[in-house]
Amino acid sequence: MNSPPRKLDLDQWDGRYEQLRRDGLREPAYGGPLRRHVVREKDFRLQQLRFDNSPAALRLWNFLLTENQRLHQARAEGDKIVGTMKDLGTVPVMAYALPGLRAFYPDGAWWTPCLMECGDKLLQKAEMMGIDASFCPVRAMLPAFQEGGHFPRPDLLVCSAGAICDDFSAIAQRLEHLGHPILWWETPRRRQPASGERACALPGHLAAPQVQVDCVRAELQRIARALGELAGQTLDDSFLAAGICAANQVRQRLDSLRRAVYCAPAAPLPALEMLVAEMLAIHFCSDRQETIAVLDALLAEVQSRAHRSQFIIGPDAARIFWVNPVADLRAMNLLEDLGGRLCGSDFMFSHALDLIPENLPPLDALARAALADPMVGPTEDRAARIVRECRSNRAEALVVSRIPGASHCAREGEIILQIVRREIGIPAIELEIPPVCDALSPSLGSRLRALVETAQARRPK
Amino acid sequence: MDVFLASPWIPAEWIRAHGLQPRGLWSAEDFQPGAWPLSAGLCAFADAAVRFAEARTDSAVVFSTACDQMRRGFDAAILEGQRRAFLFNLPATWQTPAGTQIFRSELERLGQFLLAIGGSAPSPEVLRREMSQAGGARQRLLESASATSPRGFAQAVAQFHWDGAFSPPPPAPPANQIPIALVGGPFLAPHWEWLDELEAAGARVALNATEMGERSLPPDFEFDPAAIHPFDALVRGCCDNIVDVFQRPNTRLYSWLKPRLASRNVRGIVLWHFIGCDLWRVEAPTLRETFALPVLLLEAGGEPGAAPRQLDRLQAFVETLR
Repeated sequence: MNSPPRKLDLDQWDGRYEQLRRDGLREPAYGGPLRRHVVREKDFRLQQLRFDNSPAALRLWNFLLTENQRLHQARAEGDKIVGTMKDLGTVPVMAYALPGLRAFYPDGAWWTPCLMECGDKLLQKAEMMGIDASFCPVRAMLPAFQEGGHFPRPDLLVCSAGAICDDFSAIAQRLEHLGHPILWWETPRRRQPASGERACALPGHLAAPQVQVDCVRAELQRIARALGELAGQTLDDSFLAAGICAANQVRQRLDSLRRAVYCAPAAPLPALEMLVAEMLAIHFCSDRQETIAVLDALLAEVQSRAHRSQFIIGPDAARIFWVNPVADLRAMNLLEDLGGRLCGSDFMFSHALDLIPENLPPLDALARAALADPMVGPTEDRAARIVRECRSNRAEALVVSRIPGASHCAREGEIILQIVRREIGIPAIELEIPPVCDALSPSLGSRLRALVETAQARRPK
Repeated sequence: MDVFLASPWIPAEWIRAHGLQPRGLWSAEDFQPGAWPLSAGLCAFADAAVRFAEARTDSAVVFSTACDQMRRGFDAAILEGQRRAFLFNLPATWQTPAGTQIFRSELERLGQFLLAIGGSAPSPEVLRREMSQAGGARQRLLESASATSPRGFAQAVAQFHWDGAFSPPPPAPPANQIPIALVGGPFLAPHWEWLDELEAAGARVALNATEMGERSLPPDFEFDPAAIHPFDALVRGCCDNIVDVFQRPNTRLYSWLKPRLASRNVRGIVLWHFIGCDLWRVEAPTLRETFALPVLLLEAGGEPGAAPRQLDRLQAFVETLR
């Protein structure tokens, strides 16, 4: 089944899939040809993407694209569904600690317009509900909730409040007004401990005052009670500790994968698959155990390729650090088509990649993890981590990808660019990626190409 | 030293009790939203706050976390070297003890900041006196709200936020105009022209529920000094009376509006917001559904005064209410 790494379009994957089947490919229950997601789910965007040709990548894509079906199936089998919103990585660790609970991010609906090339009309429907294009594409979540049919209606809906994006907060509030009760929990804006104030170390080389950790811990205790009531079982420290340990298994694998891909002399896995793989960290794509298996397969593939010195993008490609997730997955293909490769990323949830401390009381550890969220702290902290990772991964250029309409993007991109230029002096640009970027691809392409050329021109002769 | 506050929910009496002069930043003459070109998605109010903080290095500026843009605006101001800037974490939730604890610790932290910039530690008596004076002025402004001219009331509230003084607003002459509510975010002196335009169109703002209107005036925090420390009363009074769109859930805003809209026979709502303010914009359908009143979205653009296109919309809106 081993083939040299290359990128395939959907037509090519049809043939590749048949070949793999003939060669004895064994797949999990959600497996199958990628084409079926276009035929059955109308995920038309897949026809415009190019995918890695490995069985491990096939498994990753099938895992991602069957999430809603798997959630419906879990509901049918008696599991309770928890919709967790905004915190990107903390509450799901708690939910999966209890048997019979599955957590997912309805926020993930922001990719539906991209995948369906707006064929679902979720964005237009959101507009008819008063949420127009001045809001982030996460507004697709609102009609998805109202209509049903995408993800199952959660049995419990939890959302962090406070230091979060305004557009998300606004849309979630509208959701509640429309009759979907939300359990809100406070996430204070993280700050540096003042002199003389008791400080707590957070994952990601951060710190926060004890008073903030205490506050978040008390809030998470409230969430734990609600989850316990839903599951009919107390979410105690032993469950939480086991949940943290399992989450860390996912995070360790992602860390290995990121190191193996981003630090390699050439890219053993494409940027698009890396984006999807990293996304698994936040809620395990609704199946924690399978996430581990999917990541193991990817990691094995990457290690095998590296061992054979087989890469999907050559060593000449400009090493690009990418900030923020892209509303259109195709942008990741575009980067590579234009001579770049990913050498690092901050897709807004770097805290979900860091190990949760296992030597602390579980809720205390989770509170620290929640406070390490790059979006709840000063932009300077986020930029400092980006600078650190740009340095360690030898980034040659940086892209800050704006999310259309996102309130945080208006200011933070500019600050990140300013700090990165000041600290490491690499070329850096900001660009906006809409959910379907075809119409903008000439200008996006020009900007990315210019960045790549600038980065390559700066190499020592 | 002047301490400019970017939100009415940061208690000015706490600043005054430290011997410093609190000022509503929005009332400063050199606070000029829209005076500079804006990059995409930036809120003119937040941007003006950043530029104001950068320019006023002789004063202190207290930002709040009430919205993303102000929160990140603080980050930008710090980056530009403003060392007398403070970010006050206003809790979004209010139904659990967490919000109160955050507010309390933030007030304490603000107190430390004020000491560091030259303030003096307040005694309980000084704090009580400042709270009493501020509460009395707010109470008198609230009592005058429904019987005064909308522009006069806006001026009187702005004056209060500037120096803490109560200046009696002029009474409204009797007129057969359509009562409407002005609900929304910051409504600054350059925007008062809209109040005149509304009157010219045949309507009158019977309820100014903008961030710098009646909503920004909590009732007097009455308390028994023998039973409760003034600081505790201040924390409780503030936490119990913040009424704003950023709160989660924001049902308090609706509970606050409901009796006032009814008692003043309001027939339509003008929803006032700065461009890019998601928190207010999203409320338009909910306001319509909750109060069964027509709602007009009116944007504070870059330029001061009433833009012709917006004016047309406003006039048409009032016409539909006749």
